[in-house]
Amino acid sequence: MKLPESQAAVLQTASANEAQTFEQLADETGQKPETISGAAFELEDEGLVEVSESTEESVALTEEGREYVEDGLPEVRLYEAAMDAGADEDPAQMGRIIGQSGLEGPQVDIALSNYARKGYGTIESGEITADPDADPESDAEAQALAALAAGESVEDGGVVEQLESRGLVTVSESTVRSVTLTDDAVDVLMMEGVETAETVGQLTPEMLTSGEWRDVEFAEYNVEADAERLDGGKTHILRQTANRVKDTLVGMGFEEMEGPHADADFWINDALFMPQDHPARTHWDRFALSNPTEIRDLPEDLVERVEDAHHNGVGEDGEGYHSPWSEDFARAIALRGHTTSLSMRYLSGHEIGDLEPPQRFFSVEKVYRNDTLDPTHLLEFFQIEGWVMAEDLSVRDLMGTFEEFYEQFGITDLQYKPHYNPYTEPSFELFGEHPTTGELVEVGNSGMFREEVLQPLGVDCDVMAWGLSLERLLMLMYGFEDIRDIHGTLCDLELLRETEVLH
Amino acid sequence: MPVVDVNPDELRDLTGHDEKGDDELIDDLFALGLEFEGRTDEGDLQLEFAPDRLDRLSVEGVARSLRYQYGDDRGVYVPNTNDADWTIEVEESVPDERPYVTGAVIRDVDLDDEALDSLIQLQEKLHATMGRKRAKGAIGIHDLTMLKGEAVTEEGSELGKSITYRGIEPDGDRFVPLDSDAEMTPEDVLRSHPTGETYADLVEAYDRYPAIYDDIGLFSFPPVINGRRTEVSTDSRDLFVELTGTDQWTIDHMCNIICYALDARGAKVEEVVVNYADRTLVRPDFEVREKTVTHERIESMLGIDLSAERVIDLLERSGLDAETEEVGDGVSESDDSEARQTSSDGELAYEVAVPPYRVDVLHPLDIVDDVGRAYGFNELEPRYPDVGTVGGRHARSELEDAAREVLVGLGFEDLLNFHMINEAENFDRMGLSRPSEDGEEDADDVLGADEPATILEPYSEDYTMLRTWALPSLMMVLENNTHRAYPQDLAEIGFAARVDESENTGLAEHRTVAGVLARHDASYEDAKARLQAIARNFDVDLETPATDHPTFIDGRAAEVVMDGESAGVIGEIHPEVLVEHDLELPVAGFEFRLDALE
Repeated sequence: MKLPESQAAVLQTASANEAQTFEQLADETGQKPETISGAAFELEDEGLVEVSESTEESVALTEEGREYVEDGLPEVRLYEAAMDAGADEDPAQMGRIIGQSGLEGPQVDIALSNYARKGYGTIESGEITADPDADPESDAEAQALAALAAGESVEDGGVVEQLESRGLVTVSESTVRSVTLTDDAVDVLMMEGVETAETVGQLTPEMLTSGEWRDVEFAEYNVEADAERLDGGKTHILRQTANRVKDTLVGMGFEEMEGPHADADFWINDALFMPQDHPARTHWDRFALSNPTEIRDLPEDLVERVEDAHHNGVGEDGEGYHSPWSEDFARAIALRGHTTSLSMRYLSGHEIGDLEPPQRFFSVEKVYRNDTLDPTHLLEFFQIEGWVMAEDLSVRDLMGTFEEFYEQFGITDLQYKPHYNPYTEPSFELFGEHPTTGELVEVGNSGMFREEVLQPLGVDCDVMAWGLSLERLLMLMYGFEDIRDIHGTLCDLELLRETEVLH
Repeated sequence: MPVVDVNPDELRDLTGHDEKGDDELIDDLFALGLEFEGRTDEGDLQLEFAPDRLDRLSVEGVARSLRYQYGDDRGVYVPNTNDADWTIEVEESVPDERPYVTGAVIRDVDLDDEALDSLIQLQEKLHATMGRKRAKGAIGIHDLTMLKGEAVTEEGSELGKSITYRGIEPDGDRFVPLDSDAEMTPEDVLRSHPTGETYADLVEAYDRYPAIYDDIGLFSFPPVINGRRTEVSTDSRDLFVELTGTDQWTIDHMCNIICYALDARGAKVEEVVVNYADRTLVRPDFEVREKTVTHERIESMLGIDLSAERVIDLLERSGLDAETEEVGDGVSESDDSEARQTSSDGELAYEVAVPPYRVDVLHPLDIVDDVGRAYGFNELEPRYPDVGTVGGRHARSELEDAAREVLVGLGFEDLLNFHMINEAENFDRMGLSRPSEDGEEDADDVLGADEPATILEPYSEDYTMLRTWALPSLMMVLENNTHRAYPQDLAEIGFAARVDESENTGLAEHRTVAGVLARHDASYEDAKARLQAIARNFDVDLETPATDHPTFIDGRAAEVVMDGESAGVIGEIHPEVLVEHDLELPVAGFEFRLDALE
């Protein structure tokens, strides 16, 4: 019979009459105990050995116990000091005796509490007597400690219990497994003998080419054990979310826009019919740049038309704002507060040429808001921006587009709260049902671009637009509580590595 | 967005709907666009809304809107006004920066504590919104009985009384301001009165300060504070409302909103004459504006068919008046609007009257919006637009994604960092010297050492400029994650920018590819192996001639040259930079322009 080396060793070493523990077998065969245990269980499955279990109690000295083996038990040391001081005849001052005994700290209390218990003498009113008949040499606890220290066993359970209660020993139980050969094994050994099959750890290219692999036995691995940790790379979850949005929009016929992050306020605000004294255009809400400060070229005719719309409105019945307007402000460079600046550039025809309806465009890009950094607000975040340009669009078309888009992200039952934006009319705040909690949450802002926006740009059909923060969508989808863990240099690598892949 | 506190009992009272529970009111308000945010300590409803319908900045205006919504009121309402008794004389001396004034007299007000609180709230909210924090328009409300007007006479007969708006020297006169017992000059007020300190920046650059006088003397220092003499209390029966500002239209309309609110409480509005050197105005100006909106535009915008009767009904329920008319070449037919609607030649349109508190209506489209709100936008059936377009990605973002996929495949954790950073992180801590703004070439001529775009008066000292390269961001992430498992192989493809006068915006923006390997045996070769793999994937010829870069160890840094063009840098990070970032193991890294892979 061919068996792996460890199994063969066990069979050849074990006996049919006398049970041998795994440890004994390991000693005798020179194998590791875990190898023997693996082999023994394999052989048990084959019916060649029986594995029996017994519980064994083992007693080990604690550090304190080992100390007393060296120095003697505190009560014995106290007794010896008392005897030296003649306390067997006259009671002695306890303080003096303790001083002479060399006991310190908690050992003093230990000595005093065991002294009388063991009949070494009495302690009364600060005086100590010693019983001359007491025999510290035969102190059972001291003897037991000495025996344990010498590796012997102690039969007296009462003493062991006493030592354990004094914290001088620990008692632990362990399971000891032993092997005896079965009759079948004896037959095998008698009749056919046992040979060792060769085992190999690693399959090598040489084995494959030589064919040697046919004659070898592969050593078994512990296939349940954990392997070393490996962190592969992963696309950032905000990028993943952005890409889902992009894929969805491209699928819906939208084309991606691209343009400057730092732009003239003209494109960021003026073209959007945002009055120059609008609160969102004050210094505290935007990131104006101190370098560079001003755009070099703006399309002059467009600037004129935009300024005229601000002052006088558009159309026969149109009215403008009663707000100051200066070209200097329009030329000032700031970090864009929304990507609608890109929409303005595209709609104006200055980015990729004049656009003929129908058109759909989008971007998922960064915007900058001078806000306070907190768990749900970042100074820079991604805005999803989309617009549709066509003849005769209605708010129903806008609603239909949103239902289609948000459904891809599990957000349904949209509600439309009439809203106001300086650049759209009608305008809506979009509310949807949270995919997990079911509560109504704001998911975007939308509307039809105003005539005062479109006419100066030279667009004479309808354009509907909407915007939404990508981080908000991410937090709705993943349930994150602090966006700073995800986006920015304070990010937590562990969180990024461990975040479940959504698909 | 503005938040208005509304006492629900007062709202029930003013709408005449005692039967409405709070929850029902909250639902009705949401339909109007007012979102319930919570309650004040006193139990008032806190309602947030977009800053268009500023006539809803008080419980009176909210109640008026609800009454229209419920159908209790219809059409345009204009309060009757009594003829003027008072005049505001405007002297030549008024500050050039704040030349405009308007006002109204309000008689027979009945102000209990609630009504007075509501008036003060309306005043403050109007200041915050239309008034642009009092810069554009400021409201002063006075107890009329405490004013002593100068007699206005013409040919011997007394026509009425007047007050005077003029400019005075900062220390030109004294008065006792509100919340004070002491006589102060306007200058003193700005320096030592709490309200004065708050609004000092509005006027302190003026040569002359705005001041309003009656026969007794100075009683108002707009836009800062009123005098104590004319303070309004619950005992006040007649009020003088004055507004000053930088724009006549704005203060006139703020005045209208105040007048409508007090009229809703049963007070009587009385006109005031404003006498400028070159013109005379009678205020408040309750002129009803007219806008023409076509039936076709309403139908196409809402995407539904409506009868003319329905449109007029919806307009009236929005507090507007409407009459049908035909525009274009159509032959005028009978007065029956149904007939007009079917007329093939003329286009049906509506002449819509807009009341004087509607500051938001600029264009006929704003009236279409009102029709939609009255109809109920949520009643509309969504439909997917029947418009075919072909979608696609921008070439730049496609390249970025392709590069990101290669980096992730090479085992890099893809990161996303802020584009804003500060000089210390971008330059100092990376071992670079800061480039000077005067463009002198004293800075290092290496990747990252570019003149940065800087933020004007930044809030936070952490974010003062746009990053010129991305490796500093990755080093910061390594610094913040030393407690996390190594190796840490991080990469980012992101935005960086530098000042470039040849660009239209003065800034050259580009995407950059950066990667770092932080591991106990990180070496130049590890970084180079990955860089080679990237170059191979994009079929780019890669050379790495030796270079000097202060961020990297001497002799272990190279220029990244792709297809013969310098594109970036690669090397082992200098121990000084590592120690600066509290790192206890070597880091190798690279950075190059994304467009080098094109």
